[in-house]
Amino acid sequence: MDKLVQFGRSLMQPLLAVIVGLAAGAIAIVIVGGSVMETYAEMWKGAFGSFYFLTNTLSRATPIILIGLGVALAFRAGFFNMGSEGQMVLGALSAAVTAIYLPGSGLVKLIAAIIAGIIAGGIWSAFAGWLDARFRMNLLITTLLLNYIATLFAGYMVSYPLKDRTGSAAMAQTVMLDQSVWLPKLFKGMSLHAGFILAVVGAILLFLFMRYTVKGYEIRMLGGNPLFASYGGVQRGKMMLISMFVSGGFAGLAGSVEVLGTQYRYLDGALTSPGYAWSGIMATLLAGSHPLGTAVAAILLAALQTGGMGMERNTEVPLEVSSIIQAVLILFVSAKFTYSFIKRKKARS
Amino acid sequence: MLLQMDSITKSYGSVTANSQVQFSLNRGEIHALVGENGAGKTTLMRILYGMESPTSGEILLDGKAVSFASPADAIKHRIGMVHQHFMLFPTFTIAENIVIGREPSKGIGFDRKAAAAETERIGKLYGMPVDPWKKVADCSLGMQQRVEILKVLYQGAEVIILDEPTGVLTPLEVKELLVAIKGLAAQGKSFVLISHKLQEIMEVADRVTVLRDGKVTGTVDAKDTNAEDLSRLMVGRDLIHISRNEASRGKKVLEVAGLSIKGAKTKPVLTNISLHVDEGEIVGIAGISGNGQSELIQAISGLMKTDHGVIKLLGQDVTGASVGSIRERGLAHIPEDRYQWGVAKDATVTENGLMGHTDRHQKLGILNGSGIRGMVSEWVSRFGIKTGSLSTKAQFLSGGNLQKLIVARELAQHTPFLIAAEPTRGVDVGAMEIIHGELLKKRDEKGAILLISSELTEILKLSDRILIMYEGQIVGELDAESATEEQISLLMAGGKAVG
Repeated sequence: MDKLVQFGRSLMQPLLAVIVGLAAGAIAIVIVGGSVMETYAEMWKGAFGSFYFLTNTLSRATPIILIGLGVALAFRAGFFNMGSEGQMVLGALSAAVTAIYLPGSGLVKLIAAIIAGIIAGGIWSAFAGWLDARFRMNLLITTLLLNYIATLFAGYMVSYPLKDRTGSAAMAQTVMLDQSVWLPKLFKGMSLHAGFILAVVGAILLFLFMRYTVKGYEIRMLGGNPLFASYGGVQRGKMMLISMFVSGGFAGLAGSVEVLGTQYRYLDGALTSPGYAWSGIMATLLAGSHPLGTAVAAILLAALQTGGMGMERNTEVPLEVSSIIQAVLILFVSAKFTYSFIKRKKARS
Repeated sequence: MLLQMDSITKSYGSVTANSQVQFSLNRGEIHALVGENGAGKTTLMRILYGMESPTSGEILLDGKAVSFASPADAIKHRIGMVHQHFMLFPTFTIAENIVIGREPSKGIGFDRKAAAAETERIGKLYGMPVDPWKKVADCSLGMQQRVEILKVLYQGAEVIILDEPTGVLTPLEVKELLVAIKGLAAQGKSFVLISHKLQEIMEVADRVTVLRDGKVTGTVDAKDTNAEDLSRLMVGRDLIHISRNEASRGKKVLEVAGLSIKGAKTKPVLTNISLHVDEGEIVGIAGISGNGQSELIQAISGLMKTDHGVIKLLGQDVTGASVGSIRERGLAHIPEDRYQWGVAKDATVTENGLMGHTDRHQKLGILNGSGIRGMVSEWVSRFGIKTGSLSTKAQFLSGGNLQKLIVARELAQHTPFLIAAEPTRGVDVGAMEIIHGELLKKRDEKGAILLISSELTEILKLSDRILIMYEGQIVGELDAESATEEQISLLMAGGKAVG
């Protein structure tokens, strides 16, 4: 009974944020002269209205879930990993390069590409962790700034050395991957690919790991009170490198499955302009770093985005309304986030 | 009657923290409020200070019913509170800390001189002189306490609530504080004094109200009672007097030789510390807090790097080893500051109890949930830890109950060596009895214990040998049998040993 009440309470805040977000959206719809009910109905249809739209939403949610999981792990350990975007991009680029240049059968290349993506994202993230452990550089800032290095580096790579010169279009992208290394689609003619399964399995595994293993326990205690953890014999530096590596690994995996399951090449800007990384961070914050909650929140955010597109197609209301809803969500969530950040700072000093 | 709290009841869901509590305060009276941890003292005072509202019952001030929505409200009604943990800005001067919220102004600017003059004036008026220009960070804890009280007086308080005011003070500072409180009461200020220290209460209080399990078990005039009677009212039974067995020392467990830590400031933190703790003995370290005890503990347990010297545990060199490996070799550690080191507040009772026990309750890295819960629930019943359930967050436990959980956790490591730093700080007499009993039992079972405490009575009661620390050095060693409180106090204050 107590547990149920507690569970209900933990859902209160995100639900409230969503409701207020929708209310703010309703005001915006009225201002642009649309009908609230009709617009939201279109939005719902655009996100979940048919099997096609549903799988479309889930496919958009896939990278968001994976990124959210990585961020959730780092948050739980007490580290603010804001570098998902760069980690995802490097993961995607590494996966693409591996899939293109590695000899071997399709399956070998596929698995190697996924692993390469995870390692690339992980190393980029652990690098920021190392800078913190070794030189006391603030993780929040290093992870954020390393994003620029990663995305611009990847942009350069596909604009010059790795540029696809086969087609006529002068896009900054690699060549198309061989069909044998593509992640299989889950349903014929739908965009949803096997990466979604990886994301769901990842969410469940992370949940079990955090809850039932010794290392998960140590990570949670490290996040709860770093001094308590070190007093109990948990090695902060080592734990930080490991959790940052895994955190970045999830982002790298997100990039890999996008390349192997959706784009079939690394296309500059294809991962950054939809804002997957920031949606992933938002999903984590919305769910209070709970792995399963993060997955649900990621699907919700993806639905807002795909629903927004549906709304724009079928009503006079512009796409920006769904951005307004998201913006209000961020506002609410970041209020809570800032509050707990200040609380942590206080506790530390 | 100045203040009356009539039939106050406060419940949180199914838990009743206060039940039909009657409490009154006369002008110029010092009224002590005592009870075990979790008996409801703090809740009652939070209600009086406007931090909580009662479920039922009312507060009468000068005969008129009042209700406070916030501490600011309470302050307006001339009720002030000095919290157990000081709430001062260390980088500001004493005067700035005192006038905060109602600063004297010159035009639109802050009039520092007027603030200092005002601070000096009230300090003199109330017999607690302070240097208004001194930074709080440079003040002793006793001085900070004084600043807190002056701040409340500056805000115009007539009723002052003191929550465990002597917990962190040195014996001399305690005496000064008690004199100051008596002086203020003689000037017509009224005090509610929350304390575990029955001797101090007997010294200053006019009346004593005892709470047990949220109910008043008695309000008595201090002159008609004594410490034994009060503890009986608090615990509900007679206390057992613990007797110490003859020490039977064995081989050396901990050896520290020539340990020094330079520290960031000009003065070294630890200078050439050498000590040993043997099987079956408790070595007490007495000293005013801040004389290097914290650093010594952290160095031994691997939390702080050392510059010189060797630390050996069971004959093995552990200097510079990691906390985990030192713990594995046989160290358990009751930390001095439970909130800073001892727990993660957002984690549950079970999770906090698990720290250091993970190796015993895992298989291939997977935790054995039922085994862990069994272990922790056994502690809960043996130590009488008051908690809603095993999945209650640690932050909802009272300080004393949290301390019991930490003590239980560390004792359950069954290590040959234990550091017990302030093991009973802020803990009630019943729990203190249990903790002292357990420490002595461990000693009788050939355990080696290094006890660090700022409570002289605790040091004298438990130790076989006593070392005194002053400014990062060990300035004296006394045999517990012959040591007196005077001898130790003198050494603690930097005096030389006599005889």
